[in-house]
Amino acid sequence: MIITPKIALRIGLFLLAGILFQVSFFSKIELLGTSPDILAVIVVCLGLLGGSLAGAVGGFSVGLLIDCLMAEPLGATALILLGVGYCAGLYRERFDVTSALIPPLLCMGMTFAALLAFSALQLMLGIDVGVSIVVARDIIIKSIYAFFLGVPIYLLMRRILRPALIDHREARRRVRRRGRGRVRELTA
Amino acid sequence: MYRKQVRRRRAVLALLVIVAFALLTITYGEAPGGLQNGVSAVFAPLEEGADRALKPARDAINWFDETFDARGENEDLKEELAEVRSEVAAGRAAVGENLQLKELLELRDSGVIPGGYEPVAGRVIARSPSLWYSTVTIDIGSSSGVAVDDPVVGPDGLVGRIKAATGGQAQVQLITDPESQVTAKIADNGAQGIVHPEVGETDDMILDFIDSQKRIDRGDMVVTSGWRSLDGERSSKFPPNIPIGEVTEAPIAQQEASQEVHLEPFSDLADLDYVDVLTGGSR
Repeated sequence: MIITPKIALRIGLFLLAGILFQVSFFSKIELLGTSPDILAVIVVCLGLLGGSLAGAVGGFSVGLLIDCLMAEPLGATALILLGVGYCAGLYRERFDVTSALIPPLLCMGMTFAALLAFSALQLMLGIDVGVSIVVARDIIIKSIYAFFLGVPIYLLMRRILRPALIDHREARRRVRRRGRGRVRELTA
Repeated sequence: MYRKQVRRRRAVLALLVIVAFALLTITYGEAPGGLQNGVSAVFAPLEEGADRALKPARDAINWFDETFDARGENEDLKEELAEVRSEVAAGRAAVGENLQLKELLELRDSGVIPGGYEPVAGRVIARSPSLWYSTVTIDIGSSSGVAVDDPVVGPDGLVGRIKAATGGQAQVQLITDPESQVTAKIADNGAQGIVHPEVGETDDMILDFIDSQKRIDRGDMVVTSGWRSLDGERSSKFPPNIPIGEVTEAPIAQQEASQEVHLEPFSDLADLDYVDVLTGGSR
């Protein structure tokens, strides 16, 4: 992905909208006793489209903003989402997204890993009270939601970031046209 | 060129990890600081706007979920109804008890809220996405007289306390937050204890350190104890006699062995819309 100031602004606005949707909408609805979590999904999609650096920076920013907004200990969500974004980006850099199922599957897997890591971090930091089995159920159901939310969020983000994607058809055409132009200049 | 890119990428990653760990180390267990308050203040109007705009869609989804739940509950309710009928037939004054409970629950009108407190109504505009933090954001803050540690109540009972407040909004730590502990007592016999949650549970809490000499039964009401030290220097963050919940499980063996009973909070903490912040009290 080619990150210009315009694209950075688009990414920022998209992440901001995602955070607002999470705290004002998804966190306040309940389906099967669990609220969907789109933060990890957004960060995975960003990593898949923008690579590991964009994923890591995006994940860190989203996490830090959530920590600030909800008056939670700073850095916990940031650390987990930073890892999620980086891993999703690494996948993009090492493998091709050859199937339409890969983004939602990665969203599901990474959400599961993120929630598990977040729980482990909280336990390491020290919790004085017991932990209910509901937490495990919550992690599983949220991961399933992430699969279904992964499809529209990935497509939406891909559409928004289209001008910056080097593997996109239009961008490819543009590159080809530029290439032909250069060849003509050289042959003339 | 590629190596340079990889090195830069790794450097940024390492820097971000270090910053995250540093922030976590500095802020864990501390009260929210200036950065968090500043960001909250800037985002308050956006959160409020988003909350209002998304309310119809949220209500529609929640309606589906409640309808789905109601189907499953129907069978249970039928069994419960049969039990209640037999109890009524046996002569238990369930209706009288119910009226008594209702009187206690109508907080504002019944005078349960002690003198000196001024209730200020606020709307819940955001909620923490994690089960590990039960925090909600409300649309009133220090400009409405809200201060840190002010008790927060809902129409049915205690909800939590103010964790942080800025001009136009405040964060409420719910009683189901892992860091929350409320000194409480059984309304009937005065047995004292501490109410704390289990991470993940929104409708099952634990009343711990109860006096094993006093018997606690299922259905007993748990209220805040609102203690104050003899010299008056230290006191509970909550005023006395605010309803918290009802004892759901109180086996004698558990009471004697681990000195704890389970209770269900009266407030529907998973679906909060409006709350009252009790401002100006002398804690």
